[in-house]
Amino acid sequence: MVEKYEFDTNGLVMSPSPHLFSKRTSAWIMQQVIIALIFPAIAGTYFFGLKVLIMLFVGIFSSVLFEYLYQKISRKKVTISDYSAVVTGMLIALSLPVTAPLWSIILGSGFAILIVKQIPGGIGRNVFNPAVAARVMLKLFFSPWITNWVTPEPDVVATATPLESIGYFSKTVPEEIPDLWDLFLGIGLGGNIGETSKLAILIGLAYLVIRGIINLKIPVLYVLTVAIIMSIYGDFSFTYMMSHVLSGTLLFGATYMATDYSSGPLTPDGKTVFAIGCGMLTAVIRIVFNFPGGVGFAILIMNALAPTIDKYLAPRIYGHKKRILRNSLN
Amino acid sequence: MKIKLMRKREGVYNEVRKERTDERPIEAATVPEYLVFPLNMHIGAPANPIVEVGDKVKIGTLIAEKKGNISANIYASVSGEVFDISDQPTVKGIAPCITIKNNYKEEWEEPFYSENDKLTVTQMKEVIDKAGIVGMGGATFPTSVKLSPPSGTRIDTLIINGAECEPYSTADHRLMVEHAVELIEGVRILARILDVNQVYVALESDTHDSAEEMKKIIDQEDHIDIVELETIYPQGSEKNLIKKLTNREVPSGGLPADVHTVVVNVATALAVYEAIHLRRPSIERITTVSGEPIKEPKNLRVRIGTPISYLIDDCHGFCTNPGKMIHGGPMMGTTINSGRIPITKGTSVITFLEKGEALRSDRTSCIKCSECLNVCPVSLQPILISQAYENGDLDKAERLGALDCIDCGNCSYICPAKIPLLDNIRAAKKEIRSRQEAK
Repeated sequence: MVEKYEFDTNGLVMSPSPHLFSKRTSAWIMQQVIIALIFPAIAGTYFFGLKVLIMLFVGIFSSVLFEYLYQKISRKKVTISDYSAVVTGMLIALSLPVTAPLWSIILGSGFAILIVKQIPGGIGRNVFNPAVAARVMLKLFFSPWITNWVTPEPDVVATATPLESIGYFSKTVPEEIPDLWDLFLGIGLGGNIGETSKLAILIGLAYLVIRGIINLKIPVLYVLTVAIIMSIYGDFSFTYMMSHVLSGTLLFGATYMATDYSSGPLTPDGKTVFAIGCGMLTAVIRIVFNFPGGVGFAILIMNALAPTIDKYLAPRIYGHKKRILRNSLN
Repeated sequence: MKIKLMRKREGVYNEVRKERTDERPIEAATVPEYLVFPLNMHIGAPANPIVEVGDKVKIGTLIAEKKGNISANIYASVSGEVFDISDQPTVKGIAPCITIKNNYKEEWEEPFYSENDKLTVTQMKEVIDKAGIVGMGGATFPTSVKLSPPSGTRIDTLIINGAECEPYSTADHRLMVEHAVELIEGVRILARILDVNQVYVALESDTHDSAEEMKKIIDQEDHIDIVELETIYPQGSEKNLIKKLTNREVPSGGLPADVHTVVVNVATALAVYEAIHLRRPSIERITTVSGEPIKEPKNLRVRIGTPISYLIDDCHGFCTNPGKMIHGGPMMGTTINSGRIPITKGTSVITFLEKGEALRSDRTSCIKCSECLNVCPVSLQPILISQAYENGDLDKAERLGALDCIDCGNCSYICPAKIPLLDNIRAAKKEIRSRQEAK
């Protein structure tokens, strides 16, 4: 009877819904992060010279190689095509000063990829942000080699980071701190390659937000928390507050490190707490201690707390009165 | 591109592909020689056939009677004779169906209820029940049951759902534009039956012209508000509509009536108008046939029981080979592979996808991007439920709220690692339910 109205149905795929999928892949997301990192990389190259490119190459190459070798040797699926190792390599290179020896980049990459990322199970299973962990590890154990800050002048003079002059319970902005506009643009500033030009960082941030890779919640809350605490502590001196906002790794860390998916919290409220926590820890470390690196420590501590934060702050499901109880999730 | 900076998105802005049909007037579909009426075309117990092979029928002849409280009558949509009563392919698999052979005489049965100047509310509900009207948005829940909330449950808000959020669907949109008068009349009937003061007609902002049409018709005293909502999937989900319009949340496992609300699809409201004013049972509906492979996508007025292959012919066939045929839209619809499957009361759209669109990509590791949480309209943590299921921890999946999932598919759609999140959550739900039943 109705057979004659059949059309060719051979080859029709049968599968459960949904039948449409977003074109985004993890690799595409990482590519966007790489593009966003190119802005501070360009600024770094402009201020510190071509050695920056060599450092970036070494960071990327060694990170990818470590990931490849680990996965080959442990007979796992090789996932270097997801570009996450490239991001790690770039972050490590950009979070070191231009005077850092190349072996320190390789050491950092190996630590980041092998110890921090692959041994816990690879992407998504790492508790800590590999690049931040590598940066802090290098700072702790290899300080003499990697913290001799330089200003980008012809005769490369070692200087103190601006942070040292405003940290350690200091409430005033000393003479030697550059003016805010120079801090913002990165002119005449010592420090790590990537964090020099705040302008370049903000362009990268804007790119990531427009592409929908991150939203502004974590970076804004992070920086705002630091700014508020520093305002209060610095007796509402705008210059003091802004010197903190524009110095050190704060903007770079808030844009590229605190927003890392794998090592951050999953839940929306967890992200709020995470960002404010990063800000508070950064401010406290900067006020109490006179060493740079507050951002790295703050992010690592909050990374460690992220799983717990997520458990307490699971979203309230539609139609439920309360959040899921933390104990019931274990 | 829309950018939401701080706020939760509660959905996805998937590519809306309505432009091929959203300005196409509704056309009458070809009425075929054989029409197939699945006895299970509504939710609840299948209807009971009351005709035999060889019986003569007219348009509007009752051919199967509702069985039990959650069930619906089925009427012949053509005149002719009962050709066959047997198992046939349907959207829900092979199921008992009545097949009617069309004699093309277009003879009408007497009106299915005798005219009465002033129907009481109870009588109106009886008419709606008798007409076999079910939720035409796809849920196919008998409308008369919705209109009879348990005693003690006060309904104060009626929501008319015109937020057609599936990417290709335009049937409801065209209905609102072309049948605004009848639709609003149906809405008034529903408002009277439920005795509500507040009525919202909700639609998505990209169907602005339908809002304009309806606003022209509403009287000042009607208390009907036309609300244009953001175009986002799944805007048309019942629970989310209620939350958005009334700020009430249907309790977990509960019904809209628990928050004094009833939600009725626009096509259902039109069917109510036709039953009460035209004294005509539920025998046709408007269905969109679309998707890239379709040569000339259309909005068609279709007799219930028309096999899909006729509608494809009405649209002049395919321009490329379809890779998927979907009863419903690409986000929530069911794939089918037979053109014999008939249009039923709940078929609002038939979507065809190209081969390339139909395939899934390879799965990679979760990168914890949180996107599945960001887009879940009921605030679940899809990745955690999926992981709990894959780890065999059903208890945890249940505690994480697997049963609250509304199957919208946003999580699977958005996942950059292409993890089959909804597949896993569905499987978890199924096992949790069967475990509960075993207890």
